[in-house]
Amino acid sequence: MSARSETLNRQSPFVVDAVTFGFGRKETAVQSPVLKHVSLAIASGEVLGILGPNGSGKSTLLKILMRILVPQQGRVELFGQPHDAVAQAEIARRVAFVPQETQQAFPFTISEMVLMGRYPHHNRTWGPGWESSEDRAVAMQAMSDLGVAHLGGRLITNVSGGERQRAVIARALAQEPEVLLLDEPTAFLDLHHQLEIARIIRRLNQERGLTVVLVSHDLNLASQYCDRLLLLREGEIAAVGSPEEVIAGESLERVYDCPVLVDRHPQSGMPRVTLPV
Amino acid sequence: MTSVTSHSGKAHAGGTPALPAPGFLSRPAPASVAEGARHAQAVATLSPIKWFGVSGALGALAFVTFVACLGFGTETISFANVATLLAQGPFAEGEIQNAPHYIILWQVRIPRVLLAFMVGGSLAAVGASLQALLRNPLADPYVIGISSGAALGAAVAVLFGIGLSMFGLSVLPFYAFLGALVALLIVYRIAVSYGSFSIHTLLLGGVVLNAIFSALILFLTTLADPYKASGMYAWLMGSLTGPDFSTVLILAVYLFLGVAVLISQASALNLLTLGEEAARSLGVEVERVKRVLFAAAALLTGSVVAFSGLIGFVGLIVPHAVRLVFGADHRLLLIASGMVGGIFLMLADTLARTLLSPTEIPVGVVTALVGGPVFLYLLVRQRRSIVA
Repeated sequence: MSARSETLNRQSPFVVDAVTFGFGRKETAVQSPVLKHVSLAIASGEVLGILGPNGSGKSTLLKILMRILVPQQGRVELFGQPHDAVAQAEIARRVAFVPQETQQAFPFTISEMVLMGRYPHHNRTWGPGWESSEDRAVAMQAMSDLGVAHLGGRLITNVSGGERQRAVIARALAQEPEVLLLDEPTAFLDLHHQLEIARIIRRLNQERGLTVVLVSHDLNLASQYCDRLLLLREGEIAAVGSPEEVIAGESLERVYDCPVLVDRHPQSGMPRVTLPV
Repeated sequence: MTSVTSHSGKAHAGGTPALPAPGFLSRPAPASVAEGARHAQAVATLSPIKWFGVSGALGALAFVTFVACLGFGTETISFANVATLLAQGPFAEGEIQNAPHYIILWQVRIPRVLLAFMVGGSLAAVGASLQALLRNPLADPYVIGISSGAALGAAVAVLFGIGLSMFGLSVLPFYAFLGALVALLIVYRIAVSYGSFSIHTLLLGGVVLNAIFSALILFLTTLADPYKASGMYAWLMGSLTGPDFSTVLILAVYLFLGVAVLISQASALNLLTLGEEAARSLGVEVERVKRVLFAAAALLTGSVVAFSGLIGFVGLIVPHAVRLVFGADHRLLLIASGMVGGIFLMLADTLARTLLSPTEIPVGVVTALVGGPVFLYLLVRQRRSIVA
């Protein structure tokens, strides 16, 4: 039995029930929310893409899943447990988050950065704590999986954007998560590195049954690499379903408020979006 | 964890043909964690051996500097003489306890050089922690206004004579602590409200905060009687003059506590350099850690300012230099900065005592003259690296 079909039988990692979230104080936040009554269940082992125009609440939804943000209304369940009943470190042992961009002002080495992913696994009753040999082994594994093992001693401030993003994904893997959340993982990368990151994500999903939720602006990349897509518009779910169902002319035109052409990718046959002249 | 083969990509549903995998993906990865462990030595990280080695070596260097600084001053005491008098201990009996050099050494120099070590070490450790917390390598308790907040707190207490002593202990550090805490909360608010990485907003905010607190202190001094006011001015310039042993001991308790708390949060500080959101996603209880760090930083800054006034730039240049040598890991950075900061201020104070002897230069003047230009250099370089 493949890792993939095994994981499909497992418990749903996330259930989001009628979540409303806004920034600022509670009264104003609920009056002009960023997300309105969003409900969603994420299946174990799937790659879910969250799409939508700027300001539609994509990143906010991802941060709510990571409990970086806490919704004013509604509930989130993590593997059947209410989100707010789980300690932050416990969440970090099961869910990892890759932010859009990582800025680091201090000269940490790549291996030090990746080892930070072991923090939630440390037992710190007193003192700053030391990494165990297991921590180092897991970090090394994650670094070779992402092809950054040879960069271990380099400073994070001195590597390219693609290498930094791979190091950050390696850090997420060092958490040994069951779910990987990525916020526009390819936003600041050139074509070569976009493809590389997309393939890495696909591979982690297929070989380890890692559940992946990614926010993207790139409709074509999402269509190619996601099992299921969620289209957000002004904080509400406009469409959800397979790429064939969601990447369709009329729903995209409605959500993005602009005309689009949808045809087929010549290699994969998946829907492909281009802009008319 | 399943092993990696180059065929697995083809198994995917949805008819996606497997694209040729990039080189490092097609290479079979180690099949298990156990196999990965063989490469684990390649993951260089801080070991307890290195931690104790570096701390011990710097501690020894600090002790050597301490002994060396004891000989210098208006009255020079030879090294051999320092060693002999040190060996007598603080409670020598007989004739020697009335010897001028014995009195100078034990009642003046030792408390003062110890004070310099503790103040310098605390300022450097606070500087390193604030830099991580504010994600800004140019943060320093003096530059961003925390020290002047503490000074305002202490000035209010001194000039209005509110509850200056309780159970025979000076409560000045408590008021300075409150002032430092208020300043820290304001500065943090400024730093966070403009996103994650605004170096210049933080520095400008600090400058203005400094100006406001200084104006309030000056306003208060004009209300006070001239005798008190002139004492205030001397203290504000930063001075390590005239501590007695009991003062040094009380301060040692506060400072040891504060530095120990900072070091206990070193791993969390490492993660906070990534920003609050990333730190939270990695399992840091950000709000709790921040409260602990704020309290410890305010305790350290408050105690230091209450006893020795405004001494700037130690918290900036020392962590910077230590980072260049030992890297950014706060587990080592904090303790190493503490030691080096202590060494730096012992030397700076010795310079301040001896340069124009018998006149003393305020030690804050020495550190500002050394640290100010370094700060400006770093600011220019920082700007260039952000533009590039």
